[in-house]
Amino acid sequence: MDREPTSRVELLQGTLDLLILRTLLAGPSHGHAIAQHIQWASEDVLQVETGSLYPALHRLEAKGWIEADWDLSEKGKRARFYRLTRLGRKQLVTERSKWETFSRAMGLVLNPVDEEGH
Amino acid sequence: MNAFIRKLVWLLHSSDKEAELRAELQFHLEEDAEQRQMDGLAPQEARLRALRNFGNVTLIAEDTRAVWVPVWLDQIFQELCYGLRTLRRDWAFTLAAIATLTLAIALNVTVFTVMDAILFRGAPLVKGSDRLLFIQERDPSGRCCVSYPDFEDWRSQAHAFQRMAFIADGLVVLRERQERPTDTFAFNVSTNLFRLLGVRPILGRDFVPSDEAPGAAPVAILNYRFWESRFRKRADIAGLAVQINGAPASIIGVMPDGLDFPTQGDMWVPIAHTPALLKRGLTPGSFEVVGRLRDDADLPEARTELATINRRLEADYPVTNRNLLANLFTYSAAIAGENAPRIFGSLWAGACLVLLIACANLANLSLARTISRSREFATRIALGAGRGRMVLQILSESILLAGAGGALGWWMAKWAVRTWAVATFSPYQVVDYSVNSGTLAYLAATSAVVAILVSLPPISRIVRMSLSGALRGDCRGVTEGPRGTRLARVLVVGQMAFAIVLLSGAGVLVRSFVAIVSAKTGVRDPEHVLVGSLRLPSDKYSAAEARRAYFNRLEEQLRTIPGIEREAVASTLPVSFVNLRSFEIEGRPGEQDLGFLSVGPDYFLAVGAAPAIGRGFDDRDRPAALPVAVVNESFAATFWPGEQPLGKRIRAMEQGKPGEWRVVVGVVSNIMQGDALRQRFKPLVYVPLHQEPPGRRAYLLVRAPVSQDQLARPVRAKVQKLDPDVLLGDLTTLKAHFAFDRDSMDAEHSELGKQAAVSPVFALIALLLAVVGLYAVIAQSVSQRTKEIGIRMAIGAAAEDIRKMVLRDGMLPAAIGLILGLAGSLAVNRILQSQLVSVSPYDPVTMTGAPVILISVALFACLVPARRAMNVDPAVALRHE
Repeated sequence: MDREPTSRVELLQGTLDLLILRTLLAGPSHGHAIAQHIQWASEDVLQVETGSLYPALHRLEAKGWIEADWDLSEKGKRARFYRLTRLGRKQLVTERSKWETFSRAMGLVLNPVDEEGH
Repeated sequence: MNAFIRKLVWLLHSSDKEAELRAELQFHLEEDAEQRQMDGLAPQEARLRALRNFGNVTLIAEDTRAVWVPVWLDQIFQELCYGLRTLRRDWAFTLAAIATLTLAIALNVTVFTVMDAILFRGAPLVKGSDRLLFIQERDPSGRCCVSYPDFEDWRSQAHAFQRMAFIADGLVVLRERQERPTDTFAFNVSTNLFRLLGVRPILGRDFVPSDEAPGAAPVAILNYRFWESRFRKRADIAGLAVQINGAPASIIGVMPDGLDFPTQGDMWVPIAHTPALLKRGLTPGSFEVVGRLRDDADLPEARTELATINRRLEADYPVTNRNLLANLFTYSAAIAGENAPRIFGSLWAGACLVLLIACANLANLSLARTISRSREFATRIALGAGRGRMVLQILSESILLAGAGGALGWWMAKWAVRTWAVATFSPYQVVDYSVNSGTLAYLAATSAVVAILVSLPPISRIVRMSLSGALRGDCRGVTEGPRGTRLARVLVVGQMAFAIVLLSGAGVLVRSFVAIVSAKTGVRDPEHVLVGSLRLPSDKYSAAEARRAYFNRLEEQLRTIPGIEREAVASTLPVSFVNLRSFEIEGRPGEQDLGFLSVGPDYFLAVGAAPAIGRGFDDRDRPAALPVAVVNESFAATFWPGEQPLGKRIRAMEQGKPGEWRVVVGVVSNIMQGDALRQRFKPLVYVPLHQEPPGRRAYLLVRAPVSQDQLARPVRAKVQKLDPDVLLGDLTTLKAHFAFDRDSMDAEHSELGKQAAVSPVFALIALLLAVVGLYAVIAQSVSQRTKEIGIRMAIGAAAEDIRKMVLRDGMLPAAIGLILGLAGSLAVNRILQSQLVSVSPYDPVTMTGAPVILISVALFACLVPARRAMNVDPAVALRHE
């Protein structure tokens, strides 16, 4: 596609949910804006496939972590806005701490602090 | 689960999700295109880019929809709809299948409910019924019953029990103000009984310990039914002043509806601590102890503990307590005997065999359907449906069938359980026969198992189906592939084997039952003897003299009825229980417990037992005359073999003191009495009614050649006229009285009537299902082999050869099943052995009869298709297809 970033990363299984929940923490948003925000915030590294985004949104909605309502977008068009629920907020906290534990662990393995000291 | 429900709710709330999804995706596309336009692209170009970036819109919509409903759920729904359509098309198959399943499931659930009720549910309304134990004390010869002081020692010393209560039963005389006193069936109980049971009165108060104390004011708690029938449910019953056994007493409460503990009675009264009760040693009477186990104790522990206490008692009271054993049993053993698990377990196993046979039939039918639908399946597979999807389809058809069978079976089972409860009602067997959620769960589980069992053979067929072969239509080829039909024949073998097991089991049970009800009783033409029970009120007839006068007058009155040949009063009826008394026989050491009857002068003529030697009773045998007795042939043969019995003397021992010597004036032919199984004539002693009248409960017997219905009315009128206070029970013929009665059987055989009634039903259904199954398989095979048969006939096979071929085809699996089944029934019938009466578990009549029945119906089932095969016209058959 156009302006393909050179270092695009495939999304890890399950991380999209976390990204969506985190994005919605800032306030209600529709699908397109969520994808845009993730792409922008990750400095174009993470590009959300539409084919994963909508199933993910509907899955989260079915789980009760987010709610959806029709509202008018900034440009005055009818859009489906997603909002974080109380359950979703709780989920975000757990998912986030899980992710942080994971990424810290990855970091520890990949960049070991050399105890013998070169 | 919670998430699943939320999902369902969420799904139901959004009816037009499809449209919303399309709008949502459309919005995304437009938004993207707009942004690209703002980045400087031409509108057309921007829209194309957006679309390309978006990907396959339909696919994304599809993936998103998949989130809404799990795919499998959607597929199951589709297959269920498809199944419903195919089942409706094959309505004949569907009806047959549902009818078979309904019958088999209802039968199974009914028997399960009965088994559950008798073995596991315990006493109705009682809390924690499974912790209750009944305790009886016996000596090694089996005589009972527990003495009150021993009970007190158990209660104070046994730690395995939380509580223990004493129960005795007996008649009391209840009198309400100036009304007539009536006999009332009361349990004399320890005052802690209801606390032990965990049941509270619905009206009034429970007993308190002081009610039992010597000198306490007599009180009574009513059974709900008695409160309803006798007191019309009057609300002010608590505190009502009555008389019990002549002493002023008050009714203090009413127990809830359905509490019949330990059996049905009218009321409970605190046990009176009379000197007789407080004597050590076995006390003949109906005494028993009920105990509630502590939560941390179990049956073996309780057993050991009571045995230890009994050994201690034996050391302390060597005379009265020698060798006494405490027997402990559960509620189920108390109401249905120690054999109950075996009896009802085997009935349930029988019902399961019937269900399995039904499943095999259905499996076979559905296998045949699968084979004839091979092309349809193959086409669907070729068009991209997975084999898993085909399996799902077969499963959903079976689930629909089993579900319908289960739902109809539920109604049928409810009806059957109710019928069973009414038909088997006995005041001595209080069982909670309600149909509850546990029953429903069992039904659901059974239906699920049925659905799976029925689908297995067709599924195995589908999994191994050769696609190209099926598409070419091999299944309608000249010869049928061996696989499907081999499986069908294995199922037929199993059905035949199960049917034989059920037939032979039912055979020995029915023959045992017949051995009891058709046993020789020694009574001539029992259908010509009308009998009825008499109950004399206590206020008038406590004195023997009063009873003698009454019975004498009654006999005189009955004699005046036209058409009557003989009439008599007796202390008991032929075949029934008989009172035992200790007799001393002159010239023989020791005492004998012998059956003892007090009978009117014409008794022997009324039952048709003529004196063999000497005479019967007559008017000479007045109260003041020489005390006489008549014995039966069994007595003479046992005690005076080869001797002249006339003129010998016997005397009864009453409370350790000998009575008067009685001279034997006659020997009568044997009449069945006091043997529950009616297999042995026991020695009996008859005394004349005028010298020793029966108690307040007696029976009248009237022999007349006229219709019994005509006679009943004048007999009742005479009894009524003589003394309206004497209660005359239902009048029946002696023949009807000889019918099976569970309450007069011993513990081992009390359920034989149920077994003999139910097992032939199982056996017949099993036989019917098995034969229909065999017929279906053979008929199917013949119709599939029409072409082959045509060829055989065209190249010279005679009709006879064709018939032989078809018969061999069907009779071979039947014969194999027969042999397997016979082997199985040899093992199964041993389990029934303890319930059998004068029939061996390997009864030759049954063991030849059952195979003969099976083979002949199987032959018939094969002959019908064989005849069709013989009539195949080669020319038509070869053009077939």
